[in-house]
Amino acid sequence: MKRILVIEDESALRDELCTLLRHAGHEPVAVTEWNGVLDQMINAAADLILLDINLPEVSGETLLEQFRKSAETPVIILTSRTAELDEVLSMSRGADDFITKPYNPTILLLRISAVLKRSKKTAAVQTYRGAEVSAVKGSIIRDGMEQILTKNEMIIFQLLLDRQGAIVTRDELMTALWDNDEFVSDSALSVNVSRLRAKLAELGLDDAVETRKKQGYVLK
Amino acid sequence: MKAQAYCKDRAIPWLIRSGAWVLSMVFLFAFRVPAEAAVTVSVLLLLGAVGAEVWIYLRNKRFYNGLLANLEGLDQKYLLPEMLEEPDFTEGRIVYEVLRETDKSMCERIAEYRRENADFREYIELWVHEIKLPVASLQLMCHNDGQAKYAEQLRRVDDCVENVLYYARSGSAEKDYLIKPVSLSRAFADIAIRSRAELQQRGISLRTENLGVSVLTDGKWLVFILGQLMGNSMKYGAKEIAVTAEDFPDRTVLRFRDDGIGISESDLPYIFEKSFTGENGHASGRATGMGLYLVKKLCGKLGHGVTANSEKGKYTEIVLTFGKNEMYKMP
Repeated sequence: MKRILVIEDESALRDELCTLLRHAGHEPVAVTEWNGVLDQMINAAADLILLDINLPEVSGETLLEQFRKSAETPVIILTSRTAELDEVLSMSRGADDFITKPYNPTILLLRISAVLKRSKKTAAVQTYRGAEVSAVKGSIIRDGMEQILTKNEMIIFQLLLDRQGAIVTRDELMTALWDNDEFVSDSALSVNVSRLRAKLAELGLDDAVETRKKQGYVLK
Repeated sequence: MKAQAYCKDRAIPWLIRSGAWVLSMVFLFAFRVPAEAAVTVSVLLLLGAVGAEVWIYLRNKRFYNGLLANLEGLDQKYLLPEMLEEPDFTEGRIVYEVLRETDKSMCERIAEYRRENADFREYIELWVHEIKLPVASLQLMCHNDGQAKYAEQLRRVDDCVENVLYYARSGSAEKDYLIKPVSLSRAFADIAIRSRAELQQRGISLRTENLGVSVLTDGKWLVFILGQLMGNSMKYGAKEIAVTAEDFPDRTVLRFRDDGIGISESDLPYIFEKSFTGENGHASGRATGMGLYLVKKLCGKLGHGVTANSEKGKYTEIVLTFGKNEMYKMP
Protein backbone atom coordinates (compact mmCIF):
# COMPACT_ATOMS: atom_id res chain seq x y z
CA MET A 1 0.00 0.00 0.00
CA LYS A 2 1.38 3.35 -1.01
CA ARG A 3 0.63 6.68 0.57
CA ILE A 4 -0.32 9.12 -2.16
CA LEU A 5 -0.83 12.81 -1.53
CA VAL A 6 -3.54 14.31 -3.78
CA ILE A 7 -3.26 18.05 -4.38
CA GLU A 8 -6.29 19.03 -6.43
CA ASP A 9 -8.60 21.95 -5.70
CA GLU A 10 -11.63 20.75 -7.68
CA SER A 11 -13.45 18.84 -4.93
CA ALA A 12 -15.43 16.42 -7.11
CA LEU A 13 -12.30 15.44 -8.97
CA ARG A 14 -10.34 15.11 -5.75
CA ASP A 15 -12.91 12.81 -4.18
CA GLU A 16 -13.06 10.59 -7.24
CA LEU A 17 -9.27 10.47 -7.46
CA CYS A 18 -9.11 9.33 -3.84
CA THR A 19 -11.74 6.66 -4.50
CA LEU A 20 -9.84 5.46 -7.53
CA LEU A 21 -6.59 5.24 -5.58
CA ARG A 22 -8.27 3.47 -2.66
CA HIS A 23 -9.82 0.90 -5.01
CA ALA A 24 -6.41 0.29 -6.47
CA GLY A 25 -5.06 -0.49 -3.03
CA HIS A 26 -3.32 2.77 -2.25
CA GLU A 27 -3.75 5.10 0.68
CA PRO A 28 -4.79 8.53 -0.59
CA VAL A 29 -4.31 11.66 1.50
CA ALA A 30 -5.99 14.81 0.21
CA VAL A 31 -4.92 18.38 0.69
CA THR A 32 -7.93 20.58 1.47
CA GLU A 33 -6.31 23.50 3.22
CA TRP A 34 -4.62 25.84 0.75
CA ASN A 35 -2.40 27.65 3.19
CA GLY A 36 1.02 26.13 3.64
CA VAL A 37 0.62 23.50 0.95
CA LEU A 38 4.39 23.22 0.69
CA ASP A 39 4.71 22.24 4.34
CA GLN A 40 1.93 19.71 3.93
CA MET A 41 3.80 18.25 0.99
CA ILE A 42 7.00 17.96 2.96
CA ASN A 43 5.33 16.62 6.12
CA ALA A 44 2.96 14.17 4.44
CA ALA A 45 5.59 11.41 4.26
CA ALA A 46 3.98 10.35 1.00
CA ASP A 47 5.39 7.83 -1.46
CA LEU A 48 4.07 9.87 -4.35
CA ILE A 49 2.37 13.20 -4.94
CA LEU A 50 -0.31 13.99 -7.51
CA LEU A 51 -0.15 17.71 -8.14
CA ASP A 52 -2.55 19.93 -10.03
CA ILE A 53 -1.05 23.02 -11.68
CA ASN A 54 -3.95 25.45 -11.25
CA LEU A 55 -4.34 25.84 -7.51
CA PRO A 56 -5.75 28.61 -5.39
CA GLU A 57 -3.13 30.87 -3.80
CA VAL A 58 -0.11 29.29 -5.44
CA SER A 59 0.73 27.64 -8.74
CA GLY A 60 1.63 23.97 -8.82
CA GLU A 61 4.78 24.77 -10.78
CA THR A 62 6.10 27.08 -8.08
CA LEU A 63 5.23 24.50 -5.43
CA LEU A 64 7.07 21.82 -7.33
CA GLU A 65 10.16 23.96 -7.74
CA GLN A 66 10.30 24.79 -4.03
CA PHE A 67 9.48 21.22 -3.04
CA ARG A 68 12.31 19.83 -5.15
CA LYS A 69 14.86 21.87 -3.21
CA SER A 70 14.34 19.64 -0.20
CA ALA A 71 12.62 16.42 -1.28
CA GLU A 72 12.97 13.63 -3.78
CA THR A 73 9.42 12.23 -3.49
CA PRO A 74 8.12 11.47 -6.97
CA VAL A 75 5.57 13.98 -8.29
CA ILE A 76 3.08 13.46 -11.11
CA ILE A 77 1.59 16.62 -12.55
CA LEU A 78 -2.11 16.47 -13.39
CA THR A 79 -3.35 19.30 -15.54
CA SER A 80 -5.95 20.39 -18.01
CA ARG A 81 -3.36 22.47 -19.84
CA THR A 82 -2.59 20.59 -22.96
CA ALA A 83 0.41 22.34 -24.41
CA GLU A 84 3.72 20.63 -24.99
CA LEU A 85 5.43 23.61 -23.41
CA ASP A 86 3.65 23.05 -20.08
CA GLU A 87 4.85 19.48 -20.07
CA VAL A 88 8.45 20.39 -20.85
CA LEU A 89 8.45 23.09 -18.17
CA SER A 90 6.96 20.76 -15.57
CA MET A 91 9.49 18.06 -16.32
CA SER A 92 12.34 20.54 -16.13
CA ARG A 93 11.10 21.63 -12.70
CA GLY A 94 11.46 18.07 -11.52
CA ALA A 95 8.15 16.35 -12.22
CA ASP A 96 8.34 12.60 -12.78
CA ASP A 97 5.40 12.45 -15.15
CA PHE A 98 2.81 14.72 -16.70
CA ILE A 99 -0.77 13.63 -17.32
CA THR A 100 -3.46 15.76 -18.90
CA LYS A 101 -7.08 15.81 -17.80
CA PRO A 102 -9.33 14.09 -18.52
CA TYR A 103 -7.20 11.03 -18.03
CA ASN A 104 -7.88 7.41 -18.62
CA PRO A 105 -8.07 6.11 -15.02
CA THR A 106 -6.23 2.90 -15.88
CA ILE A 107 -3.45 4.82 -17.55
CA LEU A 108 -3.20 7.05 -14.51
CA LEU A 109 -2.80 3.99 -12.27
CA LEU A 110 -0.25 2.47 -14.63
CA ARG A 111 1.77 5.68 -14.64
CA ILE A 112 1.58 5.83 -10.86
CA SER A 113 2.97 2.32 -10.48
CA ALA A 114 5.62 2.99 -13.12
CA VAL A 115 6.80 6.10 -11.29
CA LEU A 116 6.71 4.30 -7.94
CA LYS A 117 8.79 1.48 -9.37
CA ARG A 118 11.32 3.87 -10.83
CA SER A 119 11.71 5.75 -7.57
CA LYS A 120 11.95 2.62 -5.44
CA LYS A 121 14.57 1.26 -7.79
CA THR A 122 12.93 -2.09 -7.28
CA ALA A 123 15.15 -5.07 -7.55
CA ALA A 124 14.98 -6.42 -11.08
CA VAL A 125 13.80 -9.69 -9.59
CA GLN A 126 10.50 -10.05 -7.72
CA THR A 127 9.26 -13.17 -6.04
CA TYR A 128 5.94 -14.92 -6.29
CA ARG A 129 5.18 -18.05 -4.22
CA GLY A 130 8.81 -19.09 -4.23
CA ALA A 131 9.34 -18.25 -7.87
CA GLU A 132 11.76 -15.64 -9.12
CA VAL A 133 10.18 -13.24 -11.57
CA SER A 134 12.55 -11.29 -13.77
CA ALA A 135 10.74 -8.66 -15.82
CA VAL A 136 13.91 -7.75 -17.71
CA LYS A 137 14.59 -11.29 -18.87
CA GLY A 138 10.90 -12.09 -19.09
CA SER A 139 11.35 -15.29 -17.13
CA ILE A 140 9.97 -17.10 -14.08
CA ILE A 141 12.22 -19.56 -12.27
CA ARG A 142 10.91 -22.00 -9.66
CA ASP A 143 12.68 -25.03 -8.24
CA GLY A 144 15.32 -24.81 -10.95
CA MET A 145 12.71 -24.82 -13.73
CA GLU A 146 12.47 -21.82 -15.98
CA GLN A 147 9.60 -20.55 -18.09
CA ILE A 148 10.17 -17.81 -20.63
CA LEU A 149 7.19 -15.48 -20.98
CA THR A 150 6.42 -13.52 -24.13
CA LYS A 151 6.24 -9.74 -23.85
CA ASN A 152 2.45 -9.84 -23.63
CA GLU A 153 2.40 -12.58 -21.00
CA MET A 154 4.96 -10.69 -18.93
CA ILE A 155 2.92 -7.48 -19.05
CA ILE A 156 -0.17 -9.40 -17.90
CA PHE A 157 1.68 -11.27 -15.18
CA GLN A 158 3.44 -8.15 -13.95
CA LEU A 159 0.17 -6.25 -13.56
CA LEU A 160 -1.44 -9.19 -11.75
CA LEU A 161 1.60 -9.52 -9.51
CA ASP A 162 1.67 -5.81 -8.65
CA ARG A 163 -1.93 -6.08 -7.53
CA GLN A 164 -1.74 -9.58 -6.10
CA GLY A 165 -4.94 -10.59 -4.37
CA ALA A 166 -6.99 -7.82 -6.01
CA ILE A 167 -9.13 -8.06 -9.12
CA VAL A 168 -7.51 -6.78 -12.29
CA THR A 169 -10.11 -6.14 -14.97
CA ARG A 170 -9.72 -7.23 -18.57
CA ASP A 171 -10.03 -3.56 -19.44
CA GLU A 172 -7.00 -2.76 -17.31
CA LEU A 173 -4.97 -5.61 -18.78
CA MET A 174 -5.92 -4.49 -22.25
CA THR A 175 -4.93 -0.90 -21.51
CA ALA A 176 -1.60 -2.02 -20.10
CA LEU A 177 -0.91 -4.07 -23.23
CA TRP A 178 -1.89 -1.26 -25.56
CA ASP A 179 0.22 1.12 -23.54
CA ASN A 180 3.16 -1.10 -24.49
CA ASP A 181 2.32 -0.95 -28.20
CA GLU A 182 0.71 -4.40 -28.16
CA PHE A 183 -2.62 -3.68 -29.78
CA VAL A 184 -4.21 -7.04 -29.01
CA SER A 185 -7.86 -7.87 -29.50
CA ASP A 186 -10.23 -9.17 -26.86
CA SER A 187 -9.82 -12.77 -27.94
CA ALA A 188 -6.04 -12.46 -28.15
CA LEU A 189 -6.05 -11.36 -24.52
CA SER A 190 -7.90 -14.55 -23.54
CA VAL A 191 -5.35 -16.59 -25.48
CA ASN A 192 -2.49 -14.80 -23.74
CA VAL A 193 -4.02 -15.39 -20.31
CA SER A 194 -4.51 -19.10 -20.94
CA ARG A 195 -0.95 -19.46 -22.23
CA LEU A 196 0.28 -17.69 -19.11
CA ARG A 197 -1.80 -20.09 -17.01
CA ALA A 198 -0.31 -23.09 -18.80
CA LYS A 199 3.23 -21.83 -18.24
CA LEU A 200 2.57 -21.21 -14.55
CA ALA A 201 1.07 -24.70 -14.26
CA GLU A 202 4.26 -26.15 -15.74
CA LEU A 203 6.10 -24.61 -12.81
CA GLY A 204 3.67 -26.22 -10.40
CA LEU A 205 1.74 -23.02 -9.89
CA ASP A 206 -1.69 -24.38 -10.77
CA ASP A 207 -4.72 -22.15 -10.42
CA ALA A 208 -2.49 -19.14 -9.84
CA VAL A 209 -4.67 -16.96 -12.06
CA GLU A 210 -8.30 -17.13 -11.12
CA THR A 211 -11.09 -15.87 -13.36
CA ARG A 212 -13.74 -13.74 -11.74
CA LYS A 213 -16.71 -13.84 -14.01
CA LYS A 214 -17.52 -10.47 -15.66
CA GLN A 215 -14.93 -8.80 -13.45
CA GLY A 216 -11.46 -9.90 -14.39
CA TYR A 217 -8.61 -11.92 -13.01
CA VAL A 218 -6.99 -12.35 -9.62
CA LEU A 219 -3.50 -13.65 -8.94
CA LYS A 220 -3.70 -15.73 -5.83
CA MET B 1 3.82 55.84 -66.03
CA LYS B 2 3.28 55.79 -69.77
CA ALA B 3 4.21 58.94 -71.73
CA GLN B 4 1.27 58.53 -74.10
CA ALA B 5 -1.33 58.30 -71.34
CA TYR B 6 0.32 61.20 -69.56
CA CYS B 7 0.16 63.40 -72.69
CA LYS B 8 -3.52 62.64 -73.02
CA ASP B 9 -4.05 63.85 -69.44
CA ARG B 10 -2.25 67.08 -70.32
CA ALA B 11 -4.41 67.80 -73.41
CA ILE B 12 -6.59 70.42 -71.66
CA PRO B 13 -3.70 72.59 -70.32
CA TRP B 14 -2.22 72.51 -73.83
CA LEU B 15 -5.56 73.53 -75.37
CA ILE B 16 -5.72 76.49 -72.96
CA ARG B 17 -2.12 77.39 -73.77
CA SER B 18 -2.90 77.19 -77.50
CA GLY B 19 -5.91 79.44 -76.97
CA ALA B 20 -3.73 81.98 -75.13
CA TRP B 21 -1.16 81.80 -77.95
CA VAL B 22 -3.83 82.41 -80.61
CA LEU B 23 -5.09 85.43 -78.66
CA SER B 24 -1.51 86.72 -78.22
CA MET B 25 -0.96 86.43 -81.96
CA VAL B 26 -4.17 88.41 -82.62
CA PHE B 27 -2.87 91.14 -80.28
CA LEU B 28 0.59 91.16 -81.86
CA PHE B 29 -0.97 91.53 -85.31
CA ALA B 30 -3.27 94.26 -84.03
CA PHE B 31 -0.24 96.20 -82.80
CA ARG B 32 1.43 95.52 -86.14
CA VAL B 33 4.36 93.70 -84.66
CA PRO B 34 6.57 92.30 -87.44
CA ALA B 35 5.89 88.63 -88.25
CA GLU B 36 9.52 87.65 -87.46
CA ALA B 37 9.15 88.92 -83.91
CA ALA B 38 5.82 87.09 -83.51
CA VAL B 39 7.39 83.83 -84.73
CA THR B 40 10.39 84.30 -82.39
CA VAL B 41 8.12 84.94 -79.42
CA SER B 42 6.00 81.88 -80.35
CA VAL B 43 9.06 79.61 -80.60
CA LEU B 44 10.40 80.88 -77.25
CA LEU B 45 7.05 80.35 -75.55
CA LEU B 46 6.75 76.89 -77.03
CA LEU B 47 10.28 75.94 -75.91
CA GLY B 48 9.56 77.21 -72.41
CA ALA B 49 6.26 75.35 -72.17
CA VAL B 50 7.71 72.09 -73.51
CA GLY B 51 10.69 72.39 -71.14
CA ALA B 52 8.41 72.92 -68.16
CA GLU B 53 6.20 70.06 -69.27
CA VAL B 54 9.15 67.67 -69.59
CA TRP B 55 10.40 68.68 -66.16
CA ILE B 56 6.99 68.05 -64.56
CA TYR B 57 6.67 64.80 -66.45
CA LEU B 58 10.04 63.54 -65.26
CA ARG B 59 9.35 64.51 -61.65
CA ASN B 60 5.98 62.76 -61.63
CA LYS B 61 7.39 59.79 -63.44
CA ARG B 62 10.12 59.35 -60.88
CA PHE B 63 7.64 59.49 -57.98
CA TYR B 64 4.91 57.30 -59.42
CA ASN B 65 7.24 54.74 -60.96
CA GLY B 66 8.99 54.50 -57.60
CA LEU B 67 5.59 53.97 -56.00
CA LEU B 68 4.63 51.23 -58.44
CA ALA B 69 8.01 49.50 -58.20
CA ASN B 70 7.76 49.44 -54.41
CA LEU B 71 4.25 48.05 -54.60
CA GLU B 72 5.38 45.36 -57.00
CA GLY B 73 8.24 44.31 -54.76
CA LEU B 74 6.23 44.11 -51.54
CA ASP B 75 4.89 40.87 -50.21
CA GLN B 76 2.52 42.67 -47.86
CA LYS B 77 1.16 45.53 -49.97
CA TYR B 78 -0.03 47.53 -46.99
CA LEU B 79 3.56 48.21 -45.96
CA LEU B 80 3.91 50.53 -48.99
CA PRO B 81 3.84 53.86 -47.11
CA GLU B 82 6.74 52.67 -44.97
CA MET B 83 8.83 52.30 -48.09
CA LEU B 84 8.18 55.78 -49.52
CA GLU B 85 10.26 58.89 -49.07
CA GLU B 86 8.20 61.99 -48.55
CA PRO B 87 8.00 63.70 -51.96
CA ASP B 88 8.93 67.39 -52.30
CA PHE B 89 5.97 68.51 -54.40
CA THR B 90 2.38 69.19 -53.39
CA GLU B 91 0.62 66.59 -55.52
CA GLY B 92 2.99 63.85 -54.36
CA ARG B 93 2.71 64.95 -50.77
CA ILE B 94 -1.08 64.67 -50.93
CA VAL B 95 -0.84 61.12 -52.28
CA TYR B 96 1.77 60.32 -49.65
CA GLU B 97 -0.35 61.71 -46.82
CA VAL B 98 -3.47 59.92 -48.02
CA LEU B 99 -1.61 56.62 -48.19
CA ARG B 100 -0.14 57.07 -44.74
CA GLU B 101 -3.44 58.02 -43.17
CA THR B 102 -5.45 55.18 -44.70
CA ASP B 103 -2.71 52.75 -43.84
CA LYS B 104 -2.53 53.91 -40.26
CA SER B 105 -6.27 53.62 -39.86
CA MET B 106 -6.25 50.16 -41.40
CA CYS B 107 -3.41 49.03 -39.13
CA GLU B 108 -5.35 50.24 -36.12
CA ARG B 109 -8.39 48.28 -37.23
CA ILE B 110 -6.32 45.18 -37.82
CA ALA B 111 -4.68 45.52 -34.42
CA GLU B 112 -8.14 45.84 -32.90
CA TYR B 113 -9.37 42.67 -34.60
CA ARG B 114 -6.16 40.86 -33.79
CA ARG B 115 -6.60 41.78 -30.14
CA GLU B 116 -10.20 40.65 -30.21
CA ASN B 117 -9.17 37.44 -31.91
CA ALA B 118 -6.42 36.81 -29.37
CA ASP B 119 -8.84 37.56 -26.52
CA PHE B 120 -11.35 35.14 -27.95
CA ARG B 121 -8.71 32.49 -28.40
CA GLU B 122 -7.48 32.99 -24.89
CA TYR B 123 -11.03 32.62 -23.67
CA ILE B 124 -11.46 29.41 -25.67
CA GLU B 125 -8.29 27.99 -24.13
CA LEU B 126 -9.53 28.93 -20.68
CA TRP B 127 -12.97 27.51 -21.39
CA VAL B 128 -11.46 24.26 -22.61
CA HIS B 129 -9.44 23.93 -19.42
CA GLU B 130 -12.57 24.67 -17.41
CA ILE B 131 -14.75 22.12 -19.13
CA LYS B 132 -12.10 19.46 -18.87
CA LEU B 133 -12.48 19.45 -15.09
CA PRO B 134 -16.08 18.18 -14.96
CA VAL B 135 -15.28 15.81 -17.82
CA ALA B 136 -12.35 14.45 -15.84
CA SER B 137 -14.52 14.10 -12.73
CA LEU B 138 -17.23 12.31 -14.68
CA GLN B 139 -14.72 9.99 -16.27
CA LEU B 140 -13.39 8.97 -12.88
CA MET B 141 -16.94 8.54 -11.59
CA CYS B 142 -17.73 6.23 -14.52
CA HIS B 143 -14.66 4.19 -13.73
CA ASN B 144 -15.24 4.09 -9.99
CA ASP B 145 -18.89 3.16 -10.42
CA GLY B 146 -18.23 0.70 -13.25
CA GLN B 147 -20.38 2.60 -15.79
CA ALA B 148 -18.38 1.96 -18.93
CA LYS B 149 -21.11 3.03 -21.33
CA TYR B 150 -21.05 6.61 -20.10
CA ALA B 151 -17.30 6.74 -20.50
CA GLU B 152 -17.65 6.33 -24.25
CA GLN B 153 -19.94 9.36 -24.52
CA LEU B 154 -17.58 11.35 -22.33
CA ARG B 155 -14.75 10.52 -24.64
CA ARG B 156 -16.81 11.96 -27.49
CA VAL B 157 -17.42 15.13 -25.50
CA ASP B 158 -13.70 15.40 -24.91
CA ASP B 159 -13.00 14.86 -28.61
CA CYS B 160 -15.33 17.72 -29.50
CA VAL B 161 -13.67 19.96 -26.94
CA GLU B 162 -10.24 19.11 -28.34
CA ASN B 163 -11.46 19.98 -31.83
CA VAL B 164 -12.46 23.45 -30.66
CA LEU B 165 -9.12 23.93 -28.93
CA TYR B 166 -7.08 22.96 -31.97
CA TYR B 167 -9.28 24.94 -34.32
CA ALA B 168 -8.57 28.01 -32.19
CA ARG B 169 -4.87 27.16 -32.15
CA SER B 170 -4.68 26.51 -35.87
CA GLY B 171 -5.99 29.95 -36.77
CA SER B 172 -3.94 32.06 -34.43
CA ALA B 173 -0.80 33.86 -35.40
CA GLU B 174 0.91 32.90 -32.18
CA LYS B 175 3.40 30.10 -32.10
CA ASP B 176 2.12 27.87 -29.36
CA TYR B 177 3.71 24.62 -30.29
CA LEU B 178 7.04 23.24 -29.28
CA ILE B 179 9.13 21.20 -31.65
CA LYS B 180 11.15 18.43 -30.07
CA PRO B 181 11.83 14.76 -30.78
CA VAL B 182 8.62 12.79 -30.27
CA SER B 183 8.39 9.02 -30.34
CA LEU B 184 5.91 7.92 -33.00
CA SER B 185 5.04 4.76 -31.10
CA ARG B 186 4.27 6.78 -27.94
CA ALA B 187 2.05 9.21 -29.83
CA PHE B 188 0.24 6.41 -31.62
CA ALA B 189 -0.23 4.34 -28.44
CA ASP B 190 -1.75 7.42 -26.76
CA ILE B 191 -4.39 7.80 -29.41
CA ALA B 192 -4.93 4.05 -29.78
CA ILE B 193 -5.70 3.70 -26.07
CA ARG B 194 -8.01 6.66 -26.27
CA SER B 195 -9.95 5.06 -29.12
CA ARG B 196 -9.69 1.51 -27.83
CA ALA B 197 -13.32 1.03 -26.82
CA GLU B 198 -14.61 2.12 -30.23
CA LEU B 199 -11.93 0.21 -32.12
CA GLN B 200 -12.79 -3.02 -30.35
CA GLN B 201 -16.51 -2.47 -30.62
CA ARG B 202 -16.12 -2.12 -34.39
CA GLY B 203 -13.69 -5.02 -34.54
CA ILE B 204 -10.90 -2.95 -36.05
CA SER B 205 -7.39 -4.31 -35.70
CA LEU B 206 -4.26 -2.18 -35.55
CA ARG B 207 -0.97 -2.98 -37.18
CA THR B 208 2.13 -0.92 -36.64
CA GLU B 209 5.48 -1.16 -38.26
CA ASN B 210 8.75 0.58 -37.54
CA LEU B 211 7.20 3.18 -35.20
CA GLY B 212 10.31 3.07 -33.03
CA VAL B 213 11.59 6.25 -34.62
CA SER B 214 11.32 9.77 -33.27
CA VAL B 215 10.25 12.74 -35.35
CA LEU B 216 10.61 16.46 -34.78
CA THR B 217 7.15 17.78 -33.99
CA ASP B 218 4.88 18.90 -31.18
CA GLY B 219 3.79 15.78 -29.32
CA LYS B 220 0.33 17.03 -28.37
CA TRP B 221 -0.44 18.30 -31.83
CA LEU B 222 0.71 15.05 -33.37
CA VAL B 223 -1.57 13.04 -31.09
CA PHE B 224 -4.47 15.27 -32.12
CA ILE B 225 -3.63 14.83 -35.82
CA LEU B 226 -3.41 11.04 -35.45
CA GLY B 227 -6.69 11.16 -33.55
CA GLN B 228 -8.41 12.85 -36.47
CA LEU B 229 -7.07 10.22 -38.88
CA MET B 230 -8.10 7.43 -36.52
CA GLY B 231 -11.56 8.95 -36.18
CA ASN B 232 -11.97 9.03 -39.95
CA SER B 233 -10.84 5.43 -40.36
CA MET B 234 -13.32 4.29 -37.73
CA LYS B 235 -16.08 6.36 -39.28
CA TYR B 236 -15.50 5.08 -42.79
CA GLY B 237 -15.62 1.33 -42.41
CA ALA B 238 -12.03 0.29 -41.74
CA LYS B 239 -11.37 -3.26 -40.55
CA GLU B 240 -7.64 -2.82 -40.27
CA ILE B 241 -5.57 0.27 -39.69
CA ALA B 242 -1.91 -0.04 -40.62
CA VAL B 243 0.49 2.62 -39.47
CA THR B 244 4.00 2.41 -40.81
CA ALA B 245 6.97 4.72 -40.66
CA GLU B 246 9.84 4.92 -43.07
CA ASP B 247 13.03 6.73 -42.21
CA PHE B 248 15.01 8.59 -44.87
CA PRO B 249 18.17 10.64 -44.39
CA ASP B 250 16.29 13.92 -44.72
CA ARG B 251 12.78 13.03 -43.59
CA THR B 252 10.52 10.50 -41.92
CA VAL B 253 7.36 9.40 -43.69
CA LEU B 254 4.39 8.11 -41.70
CA ARG B 255 1.70 6.22 -43.61
CA PHE B 256 -1.69 5.94 -41.98
CA ARG B 257 -3.59 3.43 -44.06
CA ASP B 258 -6.98 1.84 -43.63
CA ASP B 259 -9.01 -0.62 -45.69
CA GLY B 260 -12.23 1.34 -45.40
CA ILE B 261 -14.63 2.57 -48.07
CA GLY B 262 -12.03 4.85 -49.64
CA ILE B 263 -12.50 8.20 -51.34
CA SER B 264 -13.72 8.64 -54.89
CA GLU B 265 -11.27 10.07 -57.39
CA SER B 266 -13.39 13.17 -57.90
CA ASP B 267 -13.45 13.95 -54.17
CA LEU B 268 -9.80 13.24 -53.46
CA PRO B 269 -8.38 16.64 -54.48
CA TYR B 270 -10.75 18.47 -52.12
CA ILE B 271 -10.64 16.43 -48.91
CA PHE B 272 -8.35 18.89 -47.11
CA GLU B 273 -10.66 21.82 -47.83
CA LYS B 274 -12.73 23.38 -45.10
CA SER B 275 -16.31 22.12 -44.85
CA PHE B 276 -15.82 19.65 -47.69
CA THR B 277 -17.79 16.50 -46.93
CA GLY B 278 -17.98 14.74 -50.31
CA GLU B 279 -19.85 11.57 -51.17
CA ASN B 280 -18.78 9.71 -48.03
CA GLY B 281 -19.79 12.57 -45.79
CA HIS B 282 -23.23 12.81 -47.39
CA ALA B 283 -23.71 9.08 -47.07
CA SER B 284 -22.70 8.89 -43.41
CA GLY B 285 -24.14 12.22 -42.31
CA ARG B 286 -21.53 12.45 -39.57
CA ALA B 287 -18.96 14.45 -41.46
CA THR B 288 -18.25 18.05 -40.51
CA GLY B 289 -15.61 18.68 -43.12
CA MET B 290 -13.32 19.96 -40.39
CA GLY B 291 -11.12 17.00 -39.52
CA LEU B 292 -8.77 16.83 -42.47
CA TYR B 293 -8.91 20.59 -42.91
CA LEU B 294 -7.53 20.94 -39.38
CA VAL B 295 -4.96 18.22 -40.03
CA LYS B 296 -3.70 20.09 -43.07
CA LYS B 297 -3.65 23.41 -41.27
CA LEU B 298 -1.83 22.11 -38.20
CA CYS B 299 0.66 20.24 -40.40
CA GLY B 300 1.20 23.48 -42.30
CA LYS B 301 2.01 25.33 -39.09
CA LEU B 302 4.35 22.60 -37.91
CA GLY B 303 6.00 22.38 -41.31
CA HIS B 304 4.95 18.79 -42.05
CA GLY B 305 3.76 17.58 -45.42
CA VAL B 306 0.42 15.83 -45.72
CA THR B 307 -1.01 14.06 -48.76
CA ALA B 308 -3.69 11.48 -49.41
CA ASN B 309 -3.97 8.43 -51.64
CA SER B 310 -7.08 6.38 -52.01
CA GLU B 311 -8.99 3.97 -54.13
CA LYS B 312 -12.74 3.82 -53.78
CA GLY B 313 -13.81 0.68 -51.98
CA LYS B 314 -10.25 -0.39 -51.26
CA TYR B 315 -8.18 1.86 -49.07
CA THR B 316 -7.37 5.34 -47.84
CA GLU B 317 -3.85 6.37 -47.00
CA ILE B 318 -2.81 9.63 -45.42
CA VAL B 319 0.91 10.31 -45.64
CA LEU B 320 2.59 12.64 -43.16
CA THR B 321 6.12 13.81 -43.88
CA PHE B 322 8.33 15.07 -41.06
CA GLY B 323 11.45 17.01 -41.93
CA LYS B 324 14.77 16.53 -40.17
CA ASN B 325 16.01 20.03 -39.79
CA GLU B 326 19.22 20.07 -37.79
CA MET B 327 18.26 23.47 -36.45
CA TYR B 328 15.32 21.99 -34.57
CA LYS B 329 17.44 19.57 -32.60
CA MET B 330 17.60 20.26 -28.91
CA PRO B 331 20.63 19.16 -26.92
